[in-house]
Amino acid sequence: MAPPAGKRVKGVQVFRPFVYGTTARPFNDTDHPRPAGVSPDHTHSWEVFVKGVEDTDVFYWLRRVQFKLHESIPNHLRTIDAETIVKENEALTGGKSSKKPQKGFVINETGWGEFEITIKLYYDSKSGEKPQTLYHHLRLHPYGRNEAEKEAMRTGGEVIAWTYEEQVFNEPFEEFYKTLTSGARDKGTPAPGAGGRGKGKGKNAFASAATGTEGDVKERSAMIPLATRPGQPFSRETEEAELKRLREAEEKVHRMITGLNKTVKAKEEELAALKASNKAAAAAGSSAA
Amino acid sequence: MASHDVRDVLNLPSEGAGPRPTKKQKTSAARPNLKGLAREVQSLGGDNPIAIVPEISTFKKRRFGSRKPAARWEMSAFCNSARGDQSLQLRHWKKETEDQSRATSQPQSDGQTPGENGMEVAKKTDAVEDSSFAKFNVEVDVPQYSEDQYNSNLLSDDWAKHETDYLFGLARDFDLRWPLIWDRYDYTPQSPGNVKEEKDVDGTDPNTAMIPAPKPRTLEDLKKRYYEVAAKMMAVQKPVQYMTQAEFSLHETMANFNPVSEMQRKKFAQDALSRSTDEAREEEQLLIEVRRIVARQQKLNQERQDLYRRLDFPLTEQDITSFKSSAGLSTLLQNLATADRSKKRKPILDINVANTPGSAQPSAQPNSTPVSEGRRESIAASIGGHRDSIGGGERPERPTKKGAQQQQERKKLTEQEEQIYGVSHHDRLPSGPTFRYERINKILTTKSNAQHQRITNTLAELDIPGRLNMPTRNVVEGMEKLLNSISVLLEIRKLNDKLDGEIRLEQAKKAERKKTGTTIGASGSEGSSGPASANTNEATNRTNGENTGLTSANKESNDDDRPTSKPTTNGAVNGEKYELTNGHDAKSSEQANAENREDKSMRPASSGGYKRSASVLSGVSEKSIKRLKK
Repeated sequence: MAPPAGKRVKGVQVFRPFVYGTTARPFNDTDHPRPAGVSPDHTHSWEVFVKGVEDTDVFYWLRRVQFKLHESIPNHLRTIDAETIVKENEALTGGKSSKKPQKGFVINETGWGEFEITIKLYYDSKSGEKPQTLYHHLRLHPYGRNEAEKEAMRTGGEVIAWTYEEQVFNEPFEEFYKTLTSGARDKGTPAPGAGGRGKGKGKNAFASAATGTEGDVKERSAMIPLATRPGQPFSRETEEAELKRLREAEEKVHRMITGLNKTVKAKEEELAALKASNKAAAAAGSSAA
Repeated sequence: MASHDVRDVLNLPSEGAGPRPTKKQKTSAARPNLKGLAREVQSLGGDNPIAIVPEISTFKKRRFGSRKPAARWEMSAFCNSARGDQSLQLRHWKKETEDQSRATSQPQSDGQTPGENGMEVAKKTDAVEDSSFAKFNVEVDVPQYSEDQYNSNLLSDDWAKHETDYLFGLARDFDLRWPLIWDRYDYTPQSPGNVKEEKDVDGTDPNTAMIPAPKPRTLEDLKKRYYEVAAKMMAVQKPVQYMTQAEFSLHETMANFNPVSEMQRKKFAQDALSRSTDEAREEEQLLIEVRRIVARQQKLNQERQDLYRRLDFPLTEQDITSFKSSAGLSTLLQNLATADRSKKRKPILDINVANTPGSAQPSAQPNSTPVSEGRRESIAASIGGHRDSIGGGERPERPTKKGAQQQQERKKLTEQEEQIYGVSHHDRLPSGPTFRYERINKILTTKSNAQHQRITNTLAELDIPGRLNMPTRNVVEGMEKLLNSISVLLEIRKLNDKLDGEIRLEQAKKAERKKTGTTIGASGSEGSSGPASANTNEATNRTNGENTGLTSANKESNDDDRPTSKPTTNGAVNGEKYELTNGHDAKSSEQANAENREDKSMRPASSGGYKRSASVLSGVSEKSIKRLKK
């Protein structure tokens, strides 16, 4: 990869939230029959995806995703380019099709076993960064830390294993930095002309920043939705809950530390006393002898 | 008679054309106002106006026909919703409105008594009327917070919740008029009765509990606390990214309130007001002096820069391949010569000369002089505020030259935009892309396997999932803190276990000493007690080891114990003295030692020297140590 012109922006860190993971559904006779041509061994249909939070655009920083599936699956190295998806989406908006435009990198498969999927992310060519790898365990069967969690998944009909992650770009190159820090707009508003990079988009963002509806995530931004919605479990609320849990855990640990400190102190004293008495006894014994 | 008439008669030359026309003008201006007979009389006078014209002052006839009947006024009751006491009703005179007057006039024609309809009206107004001044009672929107929110966001060392509540109450009462708030601010800390409960929980004696003295608060202190709370509550209700421009700027001003600078500003104003005329004059002179110095400095700087420019080696950004051939070299020589000549020719401050063709390289230099740099910086800074309106057009397209220039060229993001785009600034960063969760991963993976296992166990104990749900920056920071305290906890646990081991050892020794005390007493008895005590020791050790469950910790602690366990040789030495008396005891100890060596052979053979000569005692203690080690 040719190093991009310009320099790295020193001391700056830009992040983009995204979600990756798998969703699996077991085949059954009533509402999810096994499609024709699928091996009778296969028990589940599943998909693995990489997409933006709230289905926002990720194609401007993520150029390509390579999914490495299990070797037993034919053509187990699947590569999806953002370019092709964008093109397909454009074709979709042009012609009248029932298919919805794709929002992320998705692969649909069927199978019977769980395995680890290697997800390799290739960044926009402007970024000049090397690809990074993520690992995700494909979940077909309900899982959880306790039975209740498992049961909830069983009744839901889908086994969801989604992971929230933040892509952190440390000291991005100038040009990529510009891409990352411009063009935020409200969802639904059409993208400004593909050629007009920089100023035009910036203006748009500025105007929309004042008028945008509350709690909504802007396209091309690093924002996280305010509240959880069905199908979108990652939001400020979730973060808040997590933070709270961490805080509570930390308090608990602190309590444990102070408690232990006390016992340790007591034990030290006890030990000192024991040692002293033993020594005295030893001295007495030797002197007696 | 006017003076000019006299002059006319006497044939004197007139003073000038001036007075006459003005007079005429005056009369002509006055004329149109006259009407009827008066005008006729006036016109008789011709150019010379008649001084006294009879004027009949006419009064307009009032047209009674079109006149409305006199407005009706009535005494009506009203209330004021802005007042706290709603029961209060006052009455005032009020013009009757149309429908009211109709309402009063109609029943009259119906022949009803006026008393009744008066009541009716009163009732009506009663229901409707609110004082028209009520709307001027504007309530200030003082932020609210719940107990929970206070504890999670607003805690402060300096401000108790009670006092904060008090401040906000005052702010509400006085509509944020700060001087008033400050004037009335008379906070008495929570009464001891209230405090007592809390103190009791803390375990301190309520009798000795001090009643905290009220802190003197300056106006700035009050403001600071208020703005701090208000800004935080604003951010709690609506994260910064989602604020509108106006909200965001408000939030910024509140969050960045600086009481110190405010205080300085006021002090400065005070000083400026209270200085004498002499001081003022002196200050003015000083200012002039400063201005002169600055101006001179600028000039000096400019001259110095010019000097530098002359001395400077012109940096070339152009490709030097063109100069590699001999022809190229000759052109370069020519270029340099012309540049040299132009340099010699040009006066110090004339940059235009440098721009003459043929001296391309030196001409690139003035562009990057610090002076123009500074100007550009200021332009960039001014653009920063409203970058979109003028940004792109004005910024010159320069080739990338230096890092510093790059920094300026990059557009400045407002704080809000930084939030939206997820931009943050750090002192030192490893460049390249990473994932947020990586940091936690790194912490966990760099630990040893056993330690990692212990940490995950503790996390499970705390009901924290191994993988964070949402590794945002805040969450990751929280997790880091948690992991830090967990490692502290593990350290202490280790210490605790080690102490346990030591105590057990000492207790065992004590027990043995007692035993030996008894064996000394019964010197002739067989060594059956020795093995027995060893057995009991073994048993206790084993159970203890199981209880602690942290075998590795035990091992470590015992490794550390080794120096402390040395004193057991004392016992051995003591034992030696009894060796002669009970010989077969020593034999049995030898056997035991041999067993031990076979079992673990952990101890180097060299240290076995004293073992052999040791009595049952040492054998026992040795054994117990070994068990501990296990």
